Amino acid sequence: MSKLNVPRRSLMIGGAALALAPAAAFATSSPDIGKPAPQFSAVDSNGKTWSLADLKGKVVVLETTNHDCPYVGKHYTSNNMQDQQREAAAKGVVWLTVASSAKGEQGHVTAQQANELTRSRNAAPAAVLLDPESKVARAYGATVTPHMYIIDANGILVYKGGIDSIPSSNVADIPKATQYVRVALGQVQAGQQVADSSTRAYGCTLKYPKTST
Amino acid sequence: MARFLAFLFVLLAGPAFAQTVVQTDNVRSELVSEVATVKPGEPFWVGLRQTLRPKWHTYWKNPGESGLPTEIAWKLPEGAKADPIVWPAPIRFDIGGVINYGFKDESVLLVRITPPAGLTGPFTLAAEANWLVCEDVCIPEEGKFELVLPSGAATTPAPPATLALFEQARRAVPIASPWPARYGLSKAGDPTLLVEAKGLKPDAISDVYFFPAEWGPVATMAKQSATVTAEGIRIPLKKGDAKAAMPAELAGTLVLTEKTADGSVKQAFDLSAKLDPAFVPAAAASLANAVGAEQLSLLQALAFALLGGLILNLMPCVFPVLAMKAAAFARLAGHERSEMRRDGLAYTAGVLVAFAAMAGVVIAIRSTVGDVSWGFQFQSPVFSLLIAYLFFVVGLNLSGVFEVGSRLAGVGQGLASRGGTTGAFFTGVLAVIVATPCTAPFMAAALGFALSQPAPATVAVLLAMGLGLALPYLALSMTPALQRLMPRPGPWMDRLRQFLAFPMYASAVWMIWVLTQQTGADGVLYALGGMILIAFAIWLLRLGNGASAGTWVRRGLAAGAVLLAFAATLKLDDSPATAASASGGPNAGVSFDGWERFSRARMAEAVAAGKPVFVDFTAAWCITCLVNERVALETPATRKAFEQAGVVKLKGDWTNRDSEITGVLKELGRAGVPLYLFWAPGADRPKILPQVLTESLILSELSSIQQAKR
Repeated sequence: MSKLNVPRRSLMIGGAALALAPAAAFATSSPDIGKPAPQFSAVDSNGKTWSLADLKGKVVVLETTNHDCPYVGKHYTSNNMQDQQREAAAKGVVWLTVASSAKGEQGHVTAQQANELTRSRNAAPAAVLLDPESKVARAYGATVTPHMYIIDANGILVYKGGIDSIPSSNVADIPKATQYVRVALGQVQAGQQVADSSTRAYGCTLKYPKTST
Repeated sequence: MARFLAFLFVLLAGPAFAQTVVQTDNVRSELVSEVATVKPGEPFWVGLRQTLRPKWHTYWKNPGESGLPTEIAWKLPEGAKADPIVWPAPIRFDIGGVINYGFKDESVLLVRITPPAGLTGPFTLAAEANWLVCEDVCIPEEGKFELVLPSGAATTPAPPATLALFEQARRAVPIASPWPARYGLSKAGDPTLLVEAKGLKPDAISDVYFFPAEWGPVATMAKQSATVTAEGIRIPLKKGDAKAAMPAELAGTLVLTEKTADGSVKQAFDLSAKLDPAFVPAAAASLANAVGAEQLSLLQALAFALLGGLILNLMPCVFPVLAMKAAAFARLAGHERSEMRRDGLAYTAGVLVAFAAMAGVVIAIRSTVGDVSWGFQFQSPVFSLLIAYLFFVVGLNLSGVFEVGSRLAGVGQGLASRGGTTGAFFTGVLAVIVATPCTAPFMAAALGFALSQPAPATVAVLLAMGLGLALPYLALSMTPALQRLMPRPGPWMDRLRQFLAFPMYASAVWMIWVLTQQTGADGVLYALGGMILIAFAIWLLRLGNGASAGTWVRRGLAAGAVLLAFAATLKLDDSPATAASASGGPNAGVSFDGWERFSRARMAEAVAAGKPVFVDFTAAWCITCLVNERVALETPATRKAFEQAGVVKLKGDWTNRDSEITGVLKELGRAGVPLYLFWAPGADRPKILPQVLTESLILSELSSIQQAKR
């Protein structure tokens, strides 16, 4: 009688169990450098909708975030991230911080919490996009927080990878590291090719929605 | 006494100094030495032994797509030397789709230390280690270690327990690969690794995975499907994100499981593959960009859905229901127009409500689990049994054994006309239930779209499909001109109705057959037994009339019989059949005669070998599939043509759950079977053939490759 396993066999659950097949969470490769960046549309913490298509003519930076991740913390407690956000804004670059942690996961924020974080950390992104279904992150194949992307004025992806060159959680490493995003933005502004256009991103695993039990 | 004082001193001073054991929130770390006494100038081994909290992990030298490797910074006396960490073989972690390489439970990182030749007195090893430890969340941790070892004229070994620990640690370290390895780049730049492990027994080798030693050249995120032949191991990889050119040597660790007489043994080999410019692998068999894979807009999807629903009426699955509908229509022929119209609308409403309900189920499953497929309910034997009962009862009804809405329910004759409307409604529901195992042309793309879209689009597409299904009958009931073409009512109607019971019985037989594919022979016993009980219940209810005490007894008995019939569902366990199909066991419902069982690895291998490959995704409950096989795939002419062209024929059986096949369908934007793929020799992507196959279509596909050959 041990086989009397009724609920498992009810129609819906049966279907659900089938559906447990490990879903490929996203395309197994991230978008290519030099190709049009994946389109996205997301609402920010103030209710405004941002679409990549509307940002044509502007250089765009995407920064995936999870405020409880120690690596995100490294670049915010040191003010490295905020400084770069301000420099970018001064050059007319649209810096979008993307909160892609799924609901119930570490780093998931409400609009209010996102604004509170921006205030308390004295951050200066153009907007904090709320991405609770990790759609933006998925489109870009983001794997960690912070994972950085630069899209040029023609909508071409010109940089993907880490914020800097020393993968550690130690704040003291920041001055020693090459700040990839800052360097790349400078090259984009100067109309040059980005030299290090694809680097290894480091940080906490991006908290995608759980696809299985 | 002096010793005691020293002990006391250590005890008191210990916490203030670095120590050999560091306990952090998630890891217990200990620096251990294989020797108790150090001989000056003679190398010896130490290990950083880390015991992790259950379910947490630390990282390998290449941590994968996220994470950081453990680092040890040594502070050694002048003239001493520490070699790099010798890493144990890693394991793979999939964290929400992000692939990481690392360790769980316990790991020992070995380091060879060379003390200075001129060492006098104790040798002090100091180290600062930091590591990232993650479960869902990641925490960087660190520890300061200090180990003081006396020196002497000869080394002396550590206690046996420590030596055993080292022995175990060494076993976890990959050995140098006994086989040469090389790699080539496809035109697209994707590397394929060849390990010339000749003489391997392909059947005995499983779970082959190549861990690249560094981030960059190889995408750690991409699935690997290695093929093992007597010639060796071939692993098509995907190029990674590094901007640099591919290295002259691709280094990494090859892990595989070998079935031996003593059970399964996991083995790890360090290898370095030289870039072989002469080896240009055919592009990895990628399902992406398959020719014929449709990308639809919502409008197109709606149009396809409507058209697909319409065509669904011509599919074999819906025949029994059409039979019923024809019977109903014959009954209504000559009745008032308003009644016809009401009947048509009720049927349409039934179809639409059923589709809406299905959309609801799809959305509910998707929001809780995230993935759903068309026809999935037929993968549940309980569903098959219930449908068999339903067909049986409807058949009895058509045969005239009982009437719905009158005697059975004990409702007065005055409500009979309303019963007709209700009947029409449920006929619509029934049509949808039985239609699901058929995918009509156009529907596949629309369904693939519907199941992957946000809720409103899912509902809209499914409703459009329902409308298409109901449309012919709706049009008929609304158009008097068409109705005039219908024959006059007469006694032939009863005969037709009774005759139509037989397609229903046939459908019930088919469902029982599907059931046996899912559960084995016992399914027949439960299904037929259940049918007898149901027939018995109907007979009981029809005995006599009026509200005598006997009526209640009969009703009670009938209810009992029906309950018993439904209890049969509890006896059905889908696990044996599922297990059988998972392990590649035979499933008589889908014939593998002349076909090989589908697997991604087999497909990739055959495609890489430059052979033409035909893949048939089918299921015992999919009538369209079976019809296609009968009329197009298994005819003498096609069989011969397949043979002449040297086509590798692969069949994927989706009768029971199969996550590999579900994954492939999903990648191709499909939600159900049938699905046919054809890889021309050397093609880097498959062509998706239509859902309804003809012999001439297959033959022309095959002859086109024959011509290309010449």
